[in-house]
Parts: sequence; structure tokens; C-alpha cells
Amino acid sequence: MISSRRRSVALFSRPFLFLSALFLSGCSTVQYRLFHPADSIANVEWHYTIVDVAVMLLIILPITFMIALFLWRYRKSRNAAYDPNWSHSLSLELLMWGVPLIIVVVLGYYSYQSAMLVNPYKPSVLAKSAAADAPLQVDVVTTDWQWLFIYPQQGIATIDDLVVPQGRVVDLRLTSASVVNDFFIPQVAPMIDVMPGMRTKDAFAVNRVGNYEGYSADFSGEGFSWMQFSTRIVAPSDFASWVSQTQASPHKLDYAQFRQLARPTVNVGAKPAYFSGVDPDLFEEVYHAALQGVVYPVPAELPIPVPAKAAATQAGPARS
Amino acid sequence: MFVHVPGPWSPLFGRLTLDSIPYTNPIILFAFAFSVVAGLMIVVPVLYYRKVGYLFREWLTTVDHKKIGIMYILLGLVMMFRGFVDGMMIRTQQVMADGPKSLGYLGAAHGYLPPEHFDQIYSSHGTLMIIFAVTPILTGLGNIIVPLQIGARDMAFPMMNAVSLWLTAVGAMLVMASLFIGDFSTAGWVGLAPLTEVPFSPSVGVDYWLWAIQISSIGTTLNAINMIATIVGMRAPGMRWDRLPIFTWTTLSTNIIGLTSFPILGVALALLGADRYLGTHFFTAGMGGDLMLYTNLFWIWGHPEVYFLVLPAFGIISEVIPTFAEKPLFGYITMVAATFAIAGISWTVWLHHFFTMGAGPYVNTFFSVATMLVGIPTGVKVFNWLFTLYRGRLTFTAPMLWAVGALFLLLIGGLTGMMLAIPAVNYTVHNSVFVIAHFHCMVLLIAYSIFAATGYWFPKVFGFRLDERSGKMFFYTFSLGTAVLFIAMFALGFMGETRRLDYLYDTQWMPALVTEEIGIGIYTLSCYYFAKMLYVSIRDRAKNRVGADAWGTSRTLEWLTHSPVPFYNFAVTPQVNTRDELSWRYANNVAGVRPSRFEDFHMPNNTVVPLLIGILAFGFGFGLVWRIWWMAGFSLLAIIAVVIYRSFARDPGYIVSAETLAKLEGADEPLSIITETQHLAELGMITETRHLTEAEAH
Amino acid sequence: MDGNIIRDGKMPPLWHYGHEEHDVISAKTFGFWLYMLSDALLFAGLFAAYAVLDHAMNMAGGPVEAQVVHPIAATWQTLAVLSSVFAYSLATVALKRGSRAGLIAGMAVAIVLGAVFIGLELADFASLVHTGATPDTSGFLSAFFVLIASHGLHMAFGLLWMLVMLVQVLRFGLSTAVVAQLLNLRLFWQFQASVWVCVYVFVYLKGTI
Repeated sequence: MISSRRRSVALFSRPFLFLSALFLSGCSTVQYRLFHPADSIANVEWHYTIVDVAVMLLIILPITFMIALFLWRYRKSRNAAYDPNWSHSLSLELLMWGVPLIIVVVLGYYSYQSAMLVNPYKPSVLAKSAAADAPLQVDVVTTDWQWLFIYPQQGIATIDDLVVPQGRVVDLRLTSASVVNDFFIPQVAPMIDVMPGMRTKDAFAVNRVGNYEGYSADFSGEGFSWMQFSTRIVAPSDFASWVSQTQASPHKLDYAQFRQLARPTVNVGAKPAYFSGVDPDLFEEVYHAALQGVVYPVPAELPIPVPAKAAATQAGPARS
Repeated sequence: MFVHVPGPWSPLFGRLTLDSIPYTNPIILFAFAFSVVAGLMIVVPVLYYRKVGYLFREWLTTVDHKKIGIMYILLGLVMMFRGFVDGMMIRTQQVMADGPKSLGYLGAAHGYLPPEHFDQIYSSHGTLMIIFAVTPILTGLGNIIVPLQIGARDMAFPMMNAVSLWLTAVGAMLVMASLFIGDFSTAGWVGLAPLTEVPFSPSVGVDYWLWAIQISSIGTTLNAINMIATIVGMRAPGMRWDRLPIFTWTTLSTNIIGLTSFPILGVALALLGADRYLGTHFFTAGMGGDLMLYTNLFWIWGHPEVYFLVLPAFGIISEVIPTFAEKPLFGYITMVAATFAIAGISWTVWLHHFFTMGAGPYVNTFFSVATMLVGIPTGVKVFNWLFTLYRGRLTFTAPMLWAVGALFLLLIGGLTGMMLAIPAVNYTVHNSVFVIAHFHCMVLLIAYSIFAATGYWFPKVFGFRLDERSGKMFFYTFSLGTAVLFIAMFALGFMGETRRLDYLYDTQWMPALVTEEIGIGIYTLSCYYFAKMLYVSIRDRAKNRVGADAWGTSRTLEWLTHSPVPFYNFAVTPQVNTRDELSWRYANNVAGVRPSRFEDFHMPNNTVVPLLIGILAFGFGFGLVWRIWWMAGFSLLAIIAVVIYRSFARDPGYIVSAETLAKLEGADEPLSIITETQHLAELGMITETRHLTEAEAH
Repeated sequence: MDGNIIRDGKMPPLWHYGHEEHDVISAKTFGFWLYMLSDALLFAGLFAAYAVLDHAMNMAGGPVEAQVVHPIAATWQTLAVLSSVFAYSLATVALKRGSRAGLIAGMAVAIVLGAVFIGLELADFASLVHTGATPDTSGFLSAFFVLIASHGLHMAFGLLWMLVMLVQVLRFGLSTAVVAQLLNLRLFWQFQASVWVCVYVFVYLKGTI
């Protein structure tokens, strides 16, 4: 029995430690997106992740150690102390109910605090940073299976490309023309569901220039795997020039054209598209249409186009 | 009023056409060939050895809780294997489909599974594992062990027990049928609206999923009624509530959860069915529907459901550890209190499955705190197991290894669960593979408990122990696979990989994906050891024979009767004097005291009615799935007719006389559950045991 | 665990001899109570769905509550179901006295009144469909129809059960199994009446406010 126990421990711990080391050593590399917040909201989320794990480890680590210790120490072959009649202790019971209760109270408070800070509808962490400019309004509409970003104040729209200026709060309104999706930009914006016939909200503000990848975190059908969008934080001057560039786009977008766009399409490679002369009420029209029962049925056969060689080398944000 | 679904429909065949059979899909063809070969490997020996009559008389029409339990476990293990194959296919697709340059085979753009196939595979993986693998196995274990632990002869309602089994099997058969006729749901095991509505899921897939779960849920609800009535009403004299074995306590609380939560699932699925069949607007986006209603109703069932699964696992651990620590369970009363605290609080946490739906910080915080509160009684259980180990005398048999492994998995699962309970953290990892790794830790802890229970109670049911060496190799390889796969998966969660992806866009994930693939390879190796364990155990069964107490240090009542357990369980109902009755008898040297006399007792007859109801239920489900209205209608009417007919048939059962019992008890070898009728016939006791009386009729 | 069990050096009994008469009725009734608990949760889910969908935004421009609830007709239904329960209770009193004739008479009246209830409900539905208010018009109407129809289906099964029991009483007399079923049926019938009262209050009466 001894050897089998030692063998099992060895078999366990070696690959366990090796793998953990292997994966956690990459903590500093950028691929661990959740460990590298890029704005105040993601910072709060990361901070509370650490706090929660630290508090929980206060209990988990001693328990793990004790389990391992008892397993080793009280093996039958070791002939250690044996107390077959001991099965009750009031003081231990009080501790094992009481200490976790205190921990839950503490974590409960942290939970409340952080929920208020990163509330997608009104993140109080953003209220602290006195934003100089008025927030940038972006309306988000999901279809099967693309992201449409409408800038009502600028009269432009994009597919799968969210461009925002640094240092400015971005206020998002979200609705879906198809099924439920989940708006998420790791390192940048907290998740919020995007639902047909409903309007949700999200907000974020990034202070540094950079490129990020957003996607849907709620399975929405066959084309779901290709539902990424790029998020580009650019300098305010660059943003202004991008806006005027887009306003000169030959493609227009009104509700009738939206209906064409919303038919089930898999945008392999998330190729962006740009529109000018966008109907400022387009978001509301999509929302009301969904309430009236407008749907875009998914056809039985939906071949996914294989990306041509050209698409693989296409210029764009950092997408491997 | 009836919904128009796309595709052809005929009155005779409904939506079923020759095109419904995917004979051009090489993967399905392979699966079909495999199933045919596996089926033949069972059917041919049965025919060759002329066991059809035996199987029908002794197994398919049985009302004996032990045989029903064994069939539940067999069903669960087969479905677990198919679920595991689904898991392998998911892992392989993802490692092959990473990045836009990844190649596509068999018609897929990347990997070898196009999305419409991949989506069915992960949906059936979840559905099979939760509803048709783990639930039947745990139900089967409870079926076999609980009546023995409380000193009863059978369950409170034996025939209803069989009906529950067959309804569960029908659900599983519908999922199997979806593999070869039509397709399965692509909307996940949860099936959130409006993705499951007809415009977005026009094929029969969602209908298969819906009716499979709906029909088997009826079986689960009936089983819950049975288990609660058995535990409350059929305990042996002296089996007071404070003497009940802990596995029975957890089974009781589990089935209270099941009885009260499954109807909500039934409502959620029925309303979805109304949307899909009658054109109602419960969960549509427009026309006054409310898609969030489905999410809420589903998860109000969904969260108690996971405790429905995990509480029996905790009960198993609470039986195995004391036996192999040679100590009573620490803190019995608080263990029971913690069990019911978990069951109660589990009703108040469901929103944590959709923190991101935008309920607001106050609502989110309430459910966050409730979720964390559920961790307190769970922690109490861990402490109680810890202190059971303290100053015990620990033997590391295979069941003990599994139980201890489950303990470690609970720690990791609990830690990650507490992370997910904080909304701010949840907003970064919701629906990512971090969540998948978290709940797989919990589900694997249930699997570990199942393997512990199998090893622990196998000798009780079959009379010989499982081979320890290959059993331990099974444990080591399975655990290694677990570690390799899920450490990589947690890492991927932090890298931002979301779940349910057929194609992965970030090639930086490749090392972790390869690691996961190695992990599933190790799991596959563990399957070999599982098979080897069964083979060696059966081959060497004569060497590993055991007596009533297979382990020598068992504590509860089921170890008082023979191994294997005879069809009548206990020759004479035991009088219970204390908690851990067997340990007390050992301590006072009365464990070997046999009853001084025997008495006649009454047993129920086997009946074909439950099997018949099952077959008709399959017709009902299949007819509804394919919209073959005459088949569904006829099956439903026939079920009602059979039930009414059965209520008129006065089945008196049979009496076993005291003399027969004395002969059986005095025989050299106890009756084996496989050969008992043949054995009884050889001993000339069949007529004595099949003596019908009308006196029992009314 | 249990202190000193062995008293005066005498071992307590290890085996239980002697038959107790297995209380069939008690066991079957307890099981039926458990089933009704699950049925209560089923109706709870349906009521929850109705409560969620009973808002202006769920009426999709179609008929609103006030237009589809007919409290007068529902009051007649309430009278029918409550008097059906009363008739069945009288039947149970006859059962206690061992009077088969009284039992059969009470059951027959209960069946007739139950059928009246279902007839009134179907007529109400027919009139609603005639005015264009169908379950597929809006989310609210879906919930309205399904909640009431689910209860109606339970009532219909209860009536079928009553008919079967009527035949069994005539055929087998008042045997243990028959009596157990009759008592369960009484529980079922009273429960369905209670659910109807909830429907009456939360759907029909509330709908007129």
C-alpha cells in the first residue's frame, strides 16, 4: 500500500506541477488576456479576481495541506494514533460553520462593491474619471452572424470593426436582430447580453491606443465561431479622420438595406465593411421590428465558405 | 394554429423521408457500423445461448429494485461511453481547427466537423452525460443500495420503479435514434430561446432533445416519489431518523429536490414545445414573448438539478471514507443538516448562470451572496471528511482512491465556483472554457464518486471484488487525463477562449489545445484499463469471492446480508439498535448471529406492463418528433389503456414459504443475481416460490 | 452512538419477527401526496409564466386581459367544480358508512358536474377563438390559454379516472385497493379545485381590475 500511495502521489504531482508551471509561467505573456486589463473596468474585474482567489486560498490551502497530511500520516501501515470513537466536536463545528460564514460576508461585500463599479449600465468606476468630452454613442446590432456598429452622432456604421477614440467614454446600446448574443471585449469591456426585442447597455473607456479582439460569448448558431470583431482604440485626431473618411463611403445603410444585410451570413475572416448616410433611427427600427416578430430564418443548408489564400494574409488588426 | 415547419410533411410519415437518414455522412456511417457491431456482440450470444426467454422473464419484466438498478447503471455506462466519444470528437475538432490556415476535411472548412455537425455533438455530449449517464447511474445506485441500507425488501412501489427505468431508457433511445434518423439539437444541452424556436432550429433536432428529456424526466419524477416513500415508510424497525445511513439521507434530500424541481423543467420544455408545435409566443422575441422567461424557468430547475447530481456523490464519499478509515463519519448530524441546507439554498441561486443578462447590481449581488452561502455547508462536508480521516486507519483501496480524488476535485471546483460567483469576475469568464473547466471539475467529482461506489458496492451485488490492480491503473490514468486536460482548459479560459467554438480564431491557443488533446488521449487509455478491470474481475471471480461484508470494516446495514444479495434481501427483517448498526454488532460480537426462525413473506410478480409503457412511450416521442400525429396519438391512447387495464388486473404476487427460505439460507452458496432462477429450479424450489395466492389480491 | 444499548447484560433483539399488516392505503396515499407536490410545482411554473407574460408589452397589440377574461362565465365554472368536489365528498362519507349506493350516486353527480365544468370551459375558449383571440396571437394569450387548458386537462384525466373507479366499484366492491384509489382520487379532485380557485382569483378576478 505504501508504494502504491507514493506512486500515485508521484504520478499526480509531477505532471500537475509541470503543467501548472508551464501554463502559469505564461502569466506575463499577452496571450493571457484576462491578466492584462487595458482600462479601468477590466482593472476592477482583474483586481477582484485576485482578491477573491486570495481570500478563498486562505481556506483552501490549509484544507488541501491537511488532507494530504492526514492521508499520509494515518495510513494503516504507519500505525499512528487511532481514535475510532472520536466523531464529534462542538468547537470544530462552530469553527467550520463560522469561519466560512465570515469569509462569505467579506466576499459578499466585495461582490456588491465590484458589481456597482463595473455595472454595464452605469459603471461607477467610469464616473470617477471625469470625462472631458461627452460619451461617444455607439449602437450595436447583432445579426446571424455579424456585428453592426452604428455611430448615430456621426451618421456612419461599420461591420465587425469598432473604432473608438482613446480617453473617451463609449456608451453602447445593444440589440439583436436574430438570437441572443453576448458582447465581450476581453481586457476592455464587461460582458452584456444582446437580445432581440430588448435593449441592453454597456460602457467602457480606454486611455491607451491599442487593438483588441471582441466576440460573442453566447452561442448563436452555425456561424457563431466566426463572430469576431476588431476593436481599435485610436488617437482622437485619428478617430476624427477615420470618421470623415467613412462618411465618404459609397455604401449607404437604411432599414431596407439592413434587411438584406441581416440575412444569415457567415463572415469568414470578419471582413469589415463601412457605411455612410446611416439612418439615425436604425437601431430603434430593428428593435421594434423584432418586437413585431420579424425574424431571419436560418436555411437548412448553410455552407461555410473556405477562406481563400488571400483572406489569410489580409491586413487588419492583430489576428493570427 | 399548428406551426408550419419547413420541409416536406405527409400524413403517414410526418416529416420523415429517406433524406432524413444521413447515409452520405462518413462519420455517422462509422458510428452506425460501430453500433451494429456492438449490438451484434450482445444479440448473437443471447440468441446462441437461448437466453431470450430468460432475459425477458428475469430482467425486462422485473420489478426487483436490484435488477432495475443494475439496468439503470448499464444504461448510464453505455451512454457515458457515447458521451465520452462525443467529448473526444469535440477536442479533436478544436485542435484541428485553430487558425484561418487550419485545414478542412470531410467537407468542413476547418477540422473535420462542419458547424452543423459539431454543434450537435457538443449538445448531445452535455445532454447524454448529465441526463442519460450520470442521472441513471446515480438513480441505479440509490435503487440498489437504499432499500438494503434501511432493511427493506424492495421499494415502496416496485412496478412504478420499473416504469421509471423504461421511461429513462426511452429518452436515451430517442437520443440514439437522432444519431441515425434525422439530427440532434444544435442549441446546447440548455437550449436557450429563441435559438430553439422554429425559425432558428427548423429541423427535428430540438424536438428530439425536448422529448428525450421530457419523457425521461417523468421517469425521474416517479422515481423520486418512490425513493421518498420508501425511505419514509419502509425502514426496518428501530431505523430511526438519527440512525439512517448518510447515503440514504443524501438520497432523500436529492429526491426531494428532484420531485420539486423537475416539474419546472417540464413546464419550460412544454412551453417551448407549445411554441414549436402550436405557434404560441412564450419565448419568441416578438409578439409578446419573453425569451428571458425560458432562461429563468430552465435555470430554476437547472441549479437544483446539479445538486440533485452532486448530493448522492457526497453521500457515496460519506460511506466510502468511514469504511476505509475504520472510523465513524465525523459530525453526522451537521452532515445531514449541511445536506438539507445545500438542498434548500440551491433554490435561491439560479441567476448566477446568467449574471450577464443585465439584471442590475442589486439583483446580481443577491444571487452572488446566495451562491456563496451554498459554499458554507459544502465546506462543512469537506471538513467532516477531513476529520473522519484524522486518527483513522486508512486503507487505500481503489474506492478509497476515487473518494479522495473526488475530494481534491471538489476543492478546485469550489474555488473556481467562488470566483464565478462574483459578478465582476463573471463578466470576464461567463460562457468561457473557464466555466466549462469549473463544472467539469464538479461533474468529474461525481464521476469519481460513481467509480468509488461501483468498486465499493460491486461485491455486494455480485459476490466478488473487482480487480484492484487494474482498478487502480484505471484511477491513475483517468486522474492523469483529468489533470492534463483541465489545467490546460483553465489556462485557455484566462486566455479568453469562449465555449462552443467549431473554429478557433487564435493560433496562440495551439499549445494548450494540444495539451488538451493529449489529456483526452490519456482518458482513452483509461478506458482500456476500465475494460481490463471488468475482464480480469469476471475471469478471476472465484478467487475474489467475498462474504456478507466485502471489506471487513463496513458499517451499515447492507453489509449484514449475503453477497450477492438474494432476491428477498434479508431473510428476516433486522432490528436496528443504533447508527452504523453493523459496526455495533462487530464491536459486541453479534455480527454473525443468524435469525432463529424464518417466516413466510410476500413478493411482487414480474410484469410486462412497464416495458410495454416504455415501448409505447418511444412511439409517442418518436411520433411527436417527426410530427407523425397518428403514431403519437395512438401511443398516448394505448398507454392510457394499458394503465387502466393494469389497474383492473389484480396481481397477487407470490408467497415464499418459511421452509423454502430456510433451505435457501442454509444452502452452501448464496443465490447469484444472474443465475438465481436457474439455481432455484435446480434446487426444486421454483414451485414453492411461485405459489400464487388470492388472499393478497384485495 | 446510542449510549449503552446493552441493558442488564441482555442483548437487544437483532431480528424482527412477526408480521405487521402492511398498510397499503397509507403507503399509496403518501405516494400520491408526493405526486401532488410535483403537480403543485408544475402549476407554480405555469402561474409564474402567466405572471411574467401578463403585461401590456406581452399583448402585442392584440386582445388585452379585460377583453378575454369572462368573470361571470368563470363564476359558473367555479360553482360547477366546487359542487363537484362537494358531491365527491358526500360520496366519501357514504364510503365511510360502507354504502355502495351512496358512493356511486355521489361519484355520478361529481362526474356530471365535472363534465359541466369542462363544457363551460370549452365554450368559453370557442367564443374567444371566434373573436380572434387565439393562443398564437400574443405571449399573453399563449400563457392564458395554456395555464387554463393545463388545468382543464388535469380535470379531464380526473373525470376519466372517476369513470374507471365507478366501474371498479361495481366490479370489485370496496376492496382495499379500490378504497386506496378512491381516497387518492378525492385528494386529486380537491387539489384541482384548489388550483382552479387560484386561476379564478389570479386570472379572472385580477383581470377585471
